[in-house]
Amino acid sequence: MNRDKNLPLTETVYYVLLALTEPAHGYAIMQKVEELSGGQVRLAAGTMYGAIENLMKKKLITALKSDDPRRKVYVISEQGKEVLQADYKRMLHMIAITEQVAERGRAWTGAEFDQEEGLEHV
Amino acid sequence: MFKIRMFLRFEKEEKWLEQMAAKGWLLRGTGLCYRFQKTEPGERTIKLDFRYFKSARDFTEYRTLFADSGWQHLAGSRWSGTQYFLKSRADSTEDIFSDRLSQAGRYQRAADMGLCCAMAFLVLFLTMVSNEQIDSAAFFQPKQWYFTPGLWELEGVSFWWAFLFESPFAIMRGVGWLLPLLFMVFYGVCAMKAHLIYRAAVSGQ
Repeated sequence: MNRDKNLPLTETVYYVLLALTEPAHGYAIMQKVEELSGGQVRLAAGTMYGAIENLMKKKLITALKSDDPRRKVYVISEQGKEVLQADYKRMLHMIAITEQVAERGRAWTGAEFDQEEGLEHV
Repeated sequence: MFKIRMFLRFEKEEKWLEQMAAKGWLLRGTGLCYRFQKTEPGERTIKLDFRYFKSARDFTEYRTLFADSGWQHLAGSRWSGTQYFLKSRADSTEDIFSDRLSQAGRYQRAADMGLCCAMAFLVLFLTMVSNEQIDSAAFFQPKQWYFTPGLWELEGVSFWWAFLFESPFAIMRGVGWLLPLLFMVFYGVCAMKAHLIYRAAVSGQ
């Protein structure tokens, strides 16, 4: 399979792209990512700025016209949406195949695999 | 208050600035030296980034993002490279970077800029060579650096007066061409060291 060179996305980039399915400025992205990840991913300003710069360079996001001259507003690009969807499918496959394998061999790493709780108890 | 210091490692510079703040001196500006203003002594968190900006707007956007997330811009200009931030809210993140890779990235950007400076001085030096501004033979004959007519026949106070007056110009004529070379080596070495720190940080050592 000829995979997009951007895959797999890092957790940070995945959440940033997901957050930017709606237009937002830098700090709003940071807050949205924290919210989407249930507080798991807390981006710092320097890392956020670098991530925006990087995603702009890769054309996965674009800058919109902003009324506020001090804050640029960004949104995911068509190319970004494709990459996000491809990574989503990649993870869906990983989840599906993990459940299959775990189902087949209950002795999987000797740990109990709970369908409801997912991998959290493994 | 003013102080002159040089740091290669951002971590050491951060620590030093935090110690200064603990003594009641908060960084106010940088350039040729560090400028401080009197402040209430206390524990502060100061973090450094390294970036320069293509436009004034990008620089403003950058500082606004930090301000929004609870980091006050203390010092640094569009072209200065090093940017200084003070943690200004209790709920802001502990650092201005949240992963190792982006934290190491500042060293690579510093290395890139150092390399650019080294190349600029190399070009300057080569221009001087091609314009035949460099007389390496005169290097060993300092007397030739002085142009004042009859300088070496003067005596006493009038000699010293004329000699000392011309010395700064003479030294620039004699060994001035070494300066671009010295700067080139200095920036080259700094760039190499910064790159090595980046490599070590990325590979997790």
